[in-house]
Amino acid sequence: MAQKEIIKMTNEVFEEAFEIESQKLTPEANIFNDLGLDSLDVVDLVVALQKKFGVQIRNDERVRNIRTLGDIYGFIDALGEENKLSLPREN
Amino acid sequence: MRRFRRAISWYGKIIIKVLPFGLVKVIYKDYEQSNNGQGVIFVCNHRSASDPFLMACLPYEAIQVVNMWPFRLPILGIFARWAGYLSIREMPFEDFLEKAGKLLKEGVSMVTFPEGTRSTSKAMGQFHSSVFRLALEVRCPIVPMCISGSENIPAKGTRLLEPGKIRVYKLKRLQWADYKDLTPFTLKNKVRDSIAQHLAVVETVS
Repeated sequence: MAQKEIIKMTNEVFEEAFEIESQKLTPEANIFNDLGLDSLDVVDLVVALQKKFGVQIRNDERVRNIRTLGDIYGFIDALGEENKLSLPREN
Repeated sequence: MRRFRRAISWYGKIIIKVLPFGLVKVIYKDYEQSNNGQGVIFVCNHRSASDPFLMACLPYEAIQVVNMWPFRLPILGIFARWAGYLSIREMPFEDFLEKAGKLLKEGVSMVTFPEGTRSTSKAMGQFHSSVFRLALEVRCPIVPMCISGSENIPAKGTRLLEPGKIRVYKLKRLQWADYKDLTPFTLKNKVRDSIAQHLAVVETVS
């Protein structure tokens, strides 16, 4: 999946599930300090990302290291490579 | 437990009204003046160590959701434990939901500071979502509270009180029907925005 598509779909998750304005969604935005998520919101985020991309994230230790939106783009990209994720899936 | 809650409330009244008499004035304003005995969740901004004591203004039987440190205070800590205060960091979230939900259903209100830590300035920190998840689960009213003027009473790192006025505003409650369709994230930000907006008005005119 192209990086551009990952960014678009990830941002859609933040806009739809968290009602965060698109202007705030920059790669360097810290999901805790800038976007206002907490550890419980991250669980909701993981569920929404799983649904959006059709991948299994929940037990992935790398989620703990995510701080910025850019980290999420990179994480999804890496996950896509590992799972040969080629087409965006929406359930 | 009720006796200990009352004792803490009286202790708070002494701390905020009697001890700093003439030095610090506390003004409490209730915008709805309703207390039907139902357990509610008070959501407050947090600027100073005096904020938890200011909640003695509330004519409610209430406990506070705290962040460990009050339990470490010599005498008050023991009373807080006996009164049923909940140390949110010391229990799994499911236990918190169960214990807090039971208290709310018994008519005991909950005072919360969802920023988690003092902001020490007029800027408000991000909110944690735990208490909003609790409200959605238990379907109880949420009452936003604004505390203005406490940031230097006392300032962080000191116990000295600067003279001044502290204003505590109890805003109109949000009923479950008003927020039931919101996610915990949007609910916490809605409440945070309502507090921030009121503070902006209050601090512009005062």
